[in-house]
Amino acid sequence: MTKQAKSAGKTLSRLQRRAGASLWWAIALPLVSGGLLVWQAATLAHVVGQAVESRVELTALLPSLALILALMGARALFSGIGDWLGTRGAEAIKQALRQDLLAGLLARSPRRQDQPHSGAAVTAIIDQVEALDGYFARYIPAAAQAALLPLVFGAIILPLDWVAGTLFLVSAPLIPLFMALVGWGAQAATDRQAQALSRLSGRFADRLRGLLTLKLFGREAAETDGIMLASENLRRRTLRVLGIAFLSSAVLEFFAALGVAGVALYLGLTFIDFLHLRSSPLTLELALFLLLMAPEVYNPLRLLAAHYHDRAAAKAAVAEIEAQLGFLTDGVPTLSDAAPCLGRALAVTLSGVTLRTPDHQRVLVENIELDIAPGQHIALLGPSGQGKSTLLDAIAGLRTHEGDILLDGKPLGDWPEHHLRARTFLLTQRPRLLHASLADNIALARPGASRRDIETAAERASVMPFAAALPYGLDTIIGEDGLGLSGGQAQRVALARLFLRDAGLILLDEPTAHLDPALEAEIMSALLAYARGRTLIVATHSHAAAAQLDKTWRIAGQSLVPVAISAKRKGVA
Amino acid sequence: MSVLTMFIPLFKRRLGALSLTLLLSVVTLASGIALLGTSGWFITATALTTLGLGFNLFVPSAMVRAFSFVRILARYGERFVGHNATLKLLSDLRGWLFGALFPRLPLADRSIRHGDIVSRLTADIDALDVAFLVAVGPMLGALLIGTVMTVVLALLLPGAAIIYGACIGLAAIAVPVILVLVARKAGRDTVLAAADARIAVYDAINGHADLTILGVLGSAHARFNDIAERLRDRRLLLAALTSGAAVLVQFLAALALVGTLWQGLAAQEAGTLDPAVLVGLVLAVLGSFEATGVIVRSVGKSLAAFAAAERLNALTQVPPAIVEPAHPKPFPTDHSVTLSDVHFSYDAGAPVLKGVTLTMAQGERIAIAGPSGGGKSTLLHLLLRLAEPHCGTIRIGTTRLSDIKSSEVHAHIALLSQDSPVFIDTIRNNLRVARAAADDEALWQALAVARLDTFVASLPQGLDTVVGESGRTLSAGQMRRLCLARTLLSQASIILLDEPTDALDRANEIAFFETLRAATVGKTVIMVTHADVPPGTVDRVVEMRNGTIRD
Repeated sequence: MTKQAKSAGKTLSRLQRRAGASLWWAIALPLVSGGLLVWQAATLAHVVGQAVESRVELTALLPSLALILALMGARALFSGIGDWLGTRGAEAIKQALRQDLLAGLLARSPRRQDQPHSGAAVTAIIDQVEALDGYFARYIPAAAQAALLPLVFGAIILPLDWVAGTLFLVSAPLIPLFMALVGWGAQAATDRQAQALSRLSGRFADRLRGLLTLKLFGREAAETDGIMLASENLRRRTLRVLGIAFLSSAVLEFFAALGVAGVALYLGLTFIDFLHLRSSPLTLELALFLLLMAPEVYNPLRLLAAHYHDRAAAKAAVAEIEAQLGFLTDGVPTLSDAAPCLGRALAVTLSGVTLRTPDHQRVLVENIELDIAPGQHIALLGPSGQGKSTLLDAIAGLRTHEGDILLDGKPLGDWPEHHLRARTFLLTQRPRLLHASLADNIALARPGASRRDIETAAERASVMPFAAALPYGLDTIIGEDGLGLSGGQAQRVALARLFLRDAGLILLDEPTAHLDPALEAEIMSALLAYARGRTLIVATHSHAAAAQLDKTWRIAGQSLVPVAISAKRKGVA
Repeated sequence: MSVLTMFIPLFKRRLGALSLTLLLSVVTLASGIALLGTSGWFITATALTTLGLGFNLFVPSAMVRAFSFVRILARYGERFVGHNATLKLLSDLRGWLFGALFPRLPLADRSIRHGDIVSRLTADIDALDVAFLVAVGPMLGALLIGTVMTVVLALLLPGAAIIYGACIGLAAIAVPVILVLVARKAGRDTVLAAADARIAVYDAINGHADLTILGVLGSAHARFNDIAERLRDRRLLLAALTSGAAVLVQFLAALALVGTLWQGLAAQEAGTLDPAVLVGLVLAVLGSFEATGVIVRSVGKSLAAFAAAERLNALTQVPPAIVEPAHPKPFPTDHSVTLSDVHFSYDAGAPVLKGVTLTMAQGERIAIAGPSGGGKSTLLHLLLRLAEPHCGTIRIGTTRLSDIKSSEVHAHIALLSQDSPVFIDTIRNNLRVARAAADDEALWQALAVARLDTFVASLPQGLDTVVGESGRTLSAGQMRRLCLARTLLSQASIILLDEPTDALDRANEIAFFETLRAATVGKTVIMVTHADVPPGTVDRVVEMRNGTIRD
């Protein structure tokens, strides 16, 4: 067993504890049902033995027939309930794990470099977690049955007939051994095969993602053939491996068949006095009981074999989740919203601040100093890529920095996260919209905002003019990444969120980038009206926008330079 | 269920293998039943015989051994043939999906966007491939076995045949059908809840920064939790229905067994049935319910397959974006581009292009600037004939674009988009996507123009280095260059670039533009960008605002 597989196994057993009592019942009920099975077989053998050997009348046997019916009914119920409880346990684990995984991801900084992209996160949280289902719901109960029932059955049979009992007790534990021997050689090949399979589905997904590119290069036929060829190659190789893998289940079948056939022959030969291995005479009742139990001894093992791959799948899924998300722990932070808190405008002080690109390769700004009085409105100019966005991010506490950033004289690090979020607002350059209605997207800024407030905010951010043209107005559902809206429209929806907040410090990154001059002027005036009495920092290309603010700074050569702009000069930086 | 008919042609191609699988599974089940039945008959007969050692042992013991080995071999064959057929089906399905998708691209469109399309498609394909083996196979197998057993009972023990036939009929047909009818809604709800959960994760990760800034991570997480809990509850309901059906099937098995036993004992008492045959029949009936045991679980799984089939089917219902010309004209040798008064909107939405007029000489290089979302990318899609203008015309030389086959258009006009992918493959194969027959010399030349040759030459495996996905081997800038090299390799004479530097920092952006100028000498270039284009990169910058171009 590799180290990785071992740690995956540990993780699985840790997860198992979260299922609560359901899983224990899911394990226990089939065992109880196994006990009832012995009773059922004994009764059935008794009825037939009595009727055939002792010529007992049918009417006298009717209660026993009823008992068989009742026992079979009870076993059906137990196994049904056991199945369902297994599912319940597995669902509880999956649901808790999904919550924790997402919480863990969200609790990290959104600017972390190793944050997985959304596709990988979806696959891990939805698909890989789903792959754990079979392990908890079916494999674990099956493993318990396979470990206990054959031995219990053997122990019950042994005092009744030592030959059959010994046959069962010896052959049942031998089966896993033989399966392991046969499976051994196949294991490495199976692992390689699983890798090849995941490579193929990886390739399939990869090509699907780039389908448009392939189409534009005229690769329709070639790629379709390529995928089918790869798929066919994999099939041929998979079959070679499966051929061996199926041998191990054939071994199981062999023993099961041998058990039944062997017991039948042994009993028949004993009856006709060919074999004399028993000290007491054999009755038909006992012989039938032994024959009925023979397949049941091997059934739990067959069940386990059927669910054996669930374990491998679960281990692979755990490894994959850990590889994609980088963690799979119990200690997960609880997430809560920042409660709104009122306050005055914030003063911003930068002293000796140095910012680097996320990979730390390049210095963006070095040793900058800036003092912004509460309520002051500041413009940041400069070509893109010079660090305007990074500076806004840093002031909002999203990036690491060297030097001191103080809000109201208090270093950023000393601000409780919730307090910081309630008092600041940052509009990023590429705000993301959710797959929800426009109104819900705006209301994100204040959960529980009233409809009137949302409409007012939409009005102020000039969302209303284009929303009115949409089929359901503000209730129109927009897609992931704001699909269905233009860049400028998406920006305005995100801006509308500002008007539902009560921030003492407003940081806006290119709020008017995608807008024409008339709309820009309209939005700037709404913004300035709202920002009265609040500190405002706007990163912008637009001199027109900058000219309406109290002061303008420019990032040039890694430092901040004050700029004098007259309101008359308009244009693009 | 009718959506499954969609896939009948695919299943038909594998009919032989699938039938063989079914046959082998029936043989497996039948020999299991015969093994139990013969054993039961054998021990009872020996118990009652007065012949002692004179009892004919040979025939029954040979039968017991024969049934055992037939069962083992049939099971092995069933699994081998079945998996082979399934894997072949999976290849077919992948090919079918690609074939169905290509003419319908770009899929950027409204109806299909639940979470990550790609992972959905892969999941759906995987769900579908088991449809035969998990649902149809066991049901047919159980029906066949049940019929044969009923006939055998009718011959030997007519009273039991009615009870048994009714029970197995209910178990193999009625219960699964009722389960499908009752659980269908629950199945669909489960699929919907899973899709919602997908979207919720997607939204939470994509909007992570905004959610953090707004301090609403708690709400976002709570929203996901609600959906995850709904998913859990839906699945539990589905599981309860499936387990209930399984209990019902087992009840029916119990009734069949006890009914057969009751009728058999009565017949035995009346002297019309040999006791050994009675025991044989009872054990055979017991064994025959192995066939129905798997049905319920298979039906449960096939509910997911139906949902998957429905969603894959939806893909093929999307009409192709354009109509190919009935009498296509060749791509003209004059590569000037003229757009006159082009209008366009997606679906019935607001107009995206509102009268674009633009003329470009052959070999001219222009940049289209302006706010993103103003219709620039749409304009490029129209030039590539991925969509048709609502009114107005696009001409290459004097030929209308709509008179040229789209494959011809793509052979002469190449696109480098901001999300052009680097495939998980070797550098050589990534480049050859553009021109399959390109020799190494041509590849190195393209890499040289894109200024990536020195880097690739420094890699230990050179052109055979596998790149893509994680992008560990290549930086963002290098990936762009690789895509540029690929675009140039295509030998298209008109090159379209859609925000080619979007993922690059400024230093890389400037370097990229410099490369571009050298790399596209003699070609017509249309570049959409909102970056500051260094002087000399293009001949002309036009601005696009609100769906119109002001030259």
